[in-house]
Amino acid sequence: MSGSRAADDAPLVQDRYTFGLLLRLCVNTAGGVGILFVILYLALSRSLPGDYAGVYHALRNLSPFLRPILAVSVLVYALLACGSTSALCIYILHKVAGPLYRMERILDQYRAGVHTRTVSFRHDDQIQPLAHAFNQWIGALRRDRQRWLATMKDAERHCLQDEATCRSEMEAALRKIAGDMARYH
Amino acid sequence: MRNSALQPPRPSVRYVNPRFQGPAVLAFTAIIAIGGAIFWKLVDGEFQRVFPKAAIRGHYTFNSAYDIVRDLLSWHLAGLFLGVFLTGSILVLVIIAATRHGIGKAVDSLRTSADGDLSTPTGTGPIGEFDRFGKKIDAARSDTLTSVRKIRSEADALAAGGMSPEEFRLRWDELKQQIRTIAP
Repeated sequence: MSGSRAADDAPLVQDRYTFGLLLRLCVNTAGGVGILFVILYLALSRSLPGDYAGVYHALRNLSPFLRPILAVSVLVYALLACGSTSALCIYILHKVAGPLYRMERILDQYRAGVHTRTVSFRHDDQIQPLAHAFNQWIGALRRDRQRWLATMKDAERHCLQDEATCRSEMEAALRKIAGDMARYH
Repeated sequence: MRNSALQPPRPSVRYVNPRFQGPAVLAFTAIIAIGGAIFWKLVDGEFQRVFPKAAIRGHYTFNSAYDIVRDLLSWHLAGLFLGVFLTGSILVLVIIAATRHGIGKAVDSLRTSADGDLSTPTGTGPIGEFDRFGKKIDAARSDTLTSVRKIRSEADALAAGGMSPEEFRLRWDELKQQIRTIAP
């Protein structure tokens, strides 16, 4: 019971998961900016010519020279950061997307009338209460189904007696089942 | 040889859901691309201004071009990092909030279903993937309610009597079969 309550009270998305995602995003962004810094540092840190005129001309011509270098370095940063962030995004969000996809398939199977097994996600997956709530629902339906079938079976036992008793017991069982089903709306 | 029939079912989730992860990846990519473009535009503009200005100033107390733009570059790189990270963080928090809201509604809906309410819409909200998921849950609940109502009306009809014992027995058995199809 306490396990069931713990599953009910479990957060849909754990704070640890959110902080982990933010931390990895921070590391990823810092890595991308670090690579951009290294490229620009390598391009800009070359020593200028020693004489006055050489420095003057080098600085005058540096801006047009740096333009493609800057463009390429930003492009490299964007490609690396986009690649690593996309991989991170797919990997981390898989902890939500995977269970969601699994639940969709189980719902499709349920509607198709295929036997539905108890749903469980991997321990590090998020949205665990979803599986628990689904299991609770299916469990309640199965308990009701067993009770209705047991009621019918009990009524059938009276068929060992006379026909009239059997029929009246069966009709009483049907009224009980219909009354029981009224809770579904 | 391993007998797969004896293996316990593994609760593994191997699938990637592009409808959920795809938009998030695109949004992060857009943030990085926009951040990079703004950085390029600003730094390029500064380089066009700073180096000619340094050339005509005349006092060359630096060894490399990096010495001229060190502070400028540091500030812009810090700005790029903060801009991309903070916008990305906001996106992460929005995704988490949307997940909590959408899946929270689905969980509430399944819990009320266990109490017999199969008709109140899940209401997972307008966000694509969660909306679709909510509709799937509603469809499963609706199917169950239809089955239960059908069985109930048949049980009521049988309980009302007025039919031959043969027909009653036949419909009784059919009803049992129908009940067995609930939550297979």
